[in-house]
Amino acid sequence: MKTIADINDKIQQQKAVVWTVEELKARVAELGVAKVAKTVDVVTTGTFEPAESSGAVLNLGHTDPPIKIRQCWLDGVMAYSGFGAVDLYLGASQMAELGGAWDSPDPEELREGKTRTVQRERGGGHVIADLIAGKPVKLRAIGQVTDCYPRASVETTITRDTINQFYLFNPRNLYQNFIVGVNGGDRPLYTYLGPLQPRLGNAVYANPGALSPLLNDPDLNLVGIGTRIFLGGGVGYVAWEGTQHFPLQKRLPNRTPIGPAATLALIGDAKQMGDRWVKGCYFKGYGPSLMIGIGVPLPVLNETVVERCAVQDAELVAPVVDFSIPRRVRPTFGLVSYAQLKSGRITIDGRSVRSAPLSSIFLARQVAQELKQWIEAGEFTLTEPVAPIPGDRAFVAQDRWGAQINLE
Amino acid sequence: MPVTYRLAKDFNVAANIIRAQVAPNQIGTLVVELSGDIDQLDAALDWLRSQDIGISTASREILIDEDLCVHCGLCTGVCPTEALSLDPQTFRLNFGRSRCIVCEQCVPTCPVQAISTNL
Repeated sequence: MKTIADINDKIQQQKAVVWTVEELKARVAELGVAKVAKTVDVVTTGTFEPAESSGAVLNLGHTDPPIKIRQCWLDGVMAYSGFGAVDLYLGASQMAELGGAWDSPDPEELREGKTRTVQRERGGGHVIADLIAGKPVKLRAIGQVTDCYPRASVETTITRDTINQFYLFNPRNLYQNFIVGVNGGDRPLYTYLGPLQPRLGNAVYANPGALSPLLNDPDLNLVGIGTRIFLGGGVGYVAWEGTQHFPLQKRLPNRTPIGPAATLALIGDAKQMGDRWVKGCYFKGYGPSLMIGIGVPLPVLNETVVERCAVQDAELVAPVVDFSIPRRVRPTFGLVSYAQLKSGRITIDGRSVRSAPLSSIFLARQVAQELKQWIEAGEFTLTEPVAPIPGDRAFVAQDRWGAQINLE
Repeated sequence: MPVTYRLAKDFNVAANIIRAQVAPNQIGTLVVELSGDIDQLDAALDWLRSQDIGISTASREILIDEDLCVHCGLCTGVCPTEALSLDPQTFRLNFGRSRCIVCEQCVPTCPVQAISTNL
């Protein structure tokens, strides 16, 4: 069977056969696994979904006199600065602040009679997307005065071209499967899955199902630390296991998990990214986040790869979770398949409920298509993982309320 | 003034209140769907005008900014008339304007603020 080096040779000669995972699924149905495995070299997967555990590392470059930043706001959104003098981390779900130290009026704007309008429904995700789009962003920072860094404050405007490093480092992206949110209570709920209407008014799913990168490599045999990927329109890499990585989730015989399972930490140069693939978003009554397009190439090393990638929406399931019980472990209404979810209606307790996605299947397909074109053009080669993603992480909870009575 | 009461009592016009913003001693706004006999509807509108009530019959519309929309489809789950739907093949967002009742539930639901009203 093939190796990644063999495939890269073909990519460099622009002779590699690259299919999107949907093209592969269609041809497997037609030709069977063995024939397809002989033909195709690389399968591209994609997703475009909100990922609030995302953020950007920025290095501003030093001012003169220099400053050791201890508090910092970018367009009114606080960025973490508890490391080197002008290093910042801007989290996607950090909310814009109204008032506060950063929000003193701009003298120029006051002269022109403009009023400062800080949009409430904004956050770190929007600022990251603005920087990627090449827009200017206002920065206000307060420093700790030291002999090394005598400056106490700075106000300036930055763009992605006027700072040193600007890269995304997302601690948790690419959920391998997720939950379906519903509301069995009697008042509307505003959640990270958007508004959930009372009395099972709607159901929201957040994973593109059979298109989803990690559902096509369920045991993470092909994806590991160092895997080169499409991240927000630029080139990124798998940096580590993601936070809340839970590979021990229960699995179906096809090895796909029945709920949230593996996650990955991703890294990539934001200066290469495009605003088409990275968007700030805001969930009413919940907060800001970042929507990002992520594509993962899967090398067809053997027939098993094709077999796994042939998985269909009807063979993938997610648990329907009731958000009206605000506890860590919420009651579920059982499992539904992605084929049912994508049909627009699911049945819960005998009732027909409208189901809507939160990840854009339309844009996920475009991600897979774009990555396919990069590989076909010989611009993007595959990488051998440097180390595997652990397969045995437990999912630990923080607190256990009430008396802990062990009956054993 | 009990506007909807008078519409019903004097003109036999049913007023289905879609949206209302009414406060004491302030100009309020009432979005109503009126149904009844066509002549009586005209008479009802004339009467409303005679009471110095500004009437805008230009129908409120939902606007979708194609440049902002990411076709996630979240709005389709809250749209009661299924005017907003995803194409079953392409998964592009479809807006069937004729089915829209301008309930505006989609407006706050959209995570990228691509949906607004024209008024």
